Amino acid sequence: MSAVIETDGLGKRYRRQWALTDCTLSVPAGHVVGLVGPNGAGKTTLLSLATGMLAPDAGTIEVLGGRPGAGPAQLARVGYLAQDAPVYAGLSVADHLQLGARLNPGWDAGLARGRVDRLDLDPGQKAGTLSGGQRAQLALTLAVAKRPELLVLDEPVASLDPLARREFLADLMEAVAEQELSVVMSSHLVGDLERVCDYLIVLVGSRVRVAGPVDELLAAHHLLSGPRRDPDKLPDGLEVISASHTDVQTTLLVRTTGQILDPAWTGSQVGLEDLVLAYMSQAAGRRRRDHRHLEVQK
Amino acid sequence: MIWLTWRQFRVQALTAAAALAAFAILLAVTGPHLASRYAASAITGCHGFGCQTAAITFLSQLQAASPYPIVYLLGLALILVAPAITGIFWGAPLIARELETRTSALAWNQSITRTRWLVVKLTLTGLAAMVVTEALSLSYAWWADPIGRAIDLGGSTSLFSGGRFSSLIFATHGITPLGYAAFAFTLGTATGALIRRTVPAMAVTLAIFAAAQLAMPLAVRPHLIPPDHAVAAIESADLDFGNLTATVVPGRPGAWILSSGAINTAGRVVSTLPTACLGPLSGLKPSAPGPCLESHGFREAISYEPASRYWPLQWIETGIFLALALALAGFCFWRLGRRRT
Repeated sequence: MSAVIETDGLGKRYRRQWALTDCTLSVPAGHVVGLVGPNGAGKTTLLSLATGMLAPDAGTIEVLGGRPGAGPAQLARVGYLAQDAPVYAGLSVADHLQLGARLNPGWDAGLARGRVDRLDLDPGQKAGTLSGGQRAQLALTLAVAKRPELLVLDEPVASLDPLARREFLADLMEAVAEQELSVVMSSHLVGDLERVCDYLIVLVGSRVRVAGPVDELLAAHHLLSGPRRDPDKLPDGLEVISASHTDVQTTLLVRTTGQILDPAWTGSQVGLEDLVLAYMSQAAGRRRRDHRHLEVQK
Repeated sequence: MIWLTWRQFRVQALTAAAALAAFAILLAVTGPHLASRYAASAITGCHGFGCQTAAITFLSQLQAASPYPIVYLLGLALILVAPAITGIFWGAPLIARELETRTSALAWNQSITRTRWLVVKLTLTGLAAMVVTEALSLSYAWWADPIGRAIDLGGSTSLFSGGRFSSLIFATHGITPLGYAAFAFTLGTATGALIRRTVPAMAVTLAIFAAAQLAMPLAVRPHLIPPDHAVAAIESADLDFGNLTATVVPGRPGAWILSSGAINTAGRVVSTLPTACLGPLSGLKPSAPGPCLESHGFREAISYEPASRYWPLQWIETGIFLALALALAGFCFWRLGRRRT
């Protein structure tokens, strides 16, 4: 299957600060991809690069085989719901649908009207007076009704209350199932993505830490506990993602392709949330160590 | 895209149309009275020097008659301010507000490139700004035509004194309003694209445009075409306690005088004239200082643009502003093309 997003050494810099570095990814089509990471990790930067809102400072990015935002045809293939779901406050819901119809040759008017009816949006209401959830639904309607092949959603549920969050995601999954869309959506909360994503990218400190199908990631990671020992003296083929110690016990989250044979360890399955948190804290720890190192050098 | 441009712009467009209509009604109500005053004045059928006297009488009576002085000033002010208003309220938010409210992410992710988005927005809104300003100018020119003709005949009062080359009249008549409007609008758009915030962009637009509006008559317009030079006998009327300021160029009616001064027999510019001819500074003017100075060999040197250069100057000034507008529009495209949002 071809890739929806293919990057090679992709980087983006704001003044002298790199918001995204050395990002090499190949996201296959037909997935609902979750892009997770803490605030400021570079999620929005990566998604903006994928939609052509930003141009890269290093490396290359191809979306659906084309340069992001390169022309009307490329723009038509990608639907984008930006952070906080911006809409024109002074324009009504109907105006927004009109806007979508006028600016997109592939506009599906029936789909758009159906969604607005189903979501109980008043066509005459000004978008500026909609609730956060309604605004997100309206923006999603615009992005979906242009019939894209890839839907890019930047923190679509961040500003929504739990109920609106659930409704939005259920509605999104319905649209995905109907239209056979590929989706890339970001969130700083794993919980939001756990139910809907089957592919995960963890982005921390402007770098991609891990990426892959969710079931493969879960199969390759194990939580090990056993008597206390130095994590450096583990057999080859085990990559320690995080380690915690008590006086007598060591708990490790490891990544391996093989079986855990050492009888001293008790292995257990790891949840998606623990997995993501382990990568986040690993990156944070690495940064702290780097920082100390620098201070010593001074 | 045309639909979206109109949908986002229609309130401003209707406001401008309403203001224009109100101004047009004001002119339509007072204009015919002004024209009939002119027709009934002594200017009709005047000869020689009588025309100037008649023109002065006509203008001074007009200056005392409400509402003509107010409409005269209001019209000038509107035409001067209209480009600034469109630059501030139409140009500056065009890109800046989209970036500020982040609706740019919505607008630029429909199936249309942002270049096309900007082409349509700039063209339609920019043309509207030019049309509004030029419509103000043309309707005002129709209304003020009798005043202009009386001034051309040599009439002048404290208010109605500017010939068509005077700073205010030149910039509000002919085709220059088109240039000012295009420049102010694209200036607003470009500063908005650069600063990315609406209100600061508005302030910067106003400051730069006001500076350009002042710099053009003071520093640029007099140098657009090298002036012609003339040497003439010193007119007694041009002397004011030793200062010589020419008001007409003999044989060149309607010329725009850029500078004038006294020269001696050697052709050198002199700053002081013999007091024997001028009389004491505090006293009454001698009856004929002009012939007296001429007998001492002093003449008047004048640099001027003949009246025939009115339209070439109009075209050059408009061309300068249109070229600046194109450059600013180009900057906007470049800025958006760099895809920094």
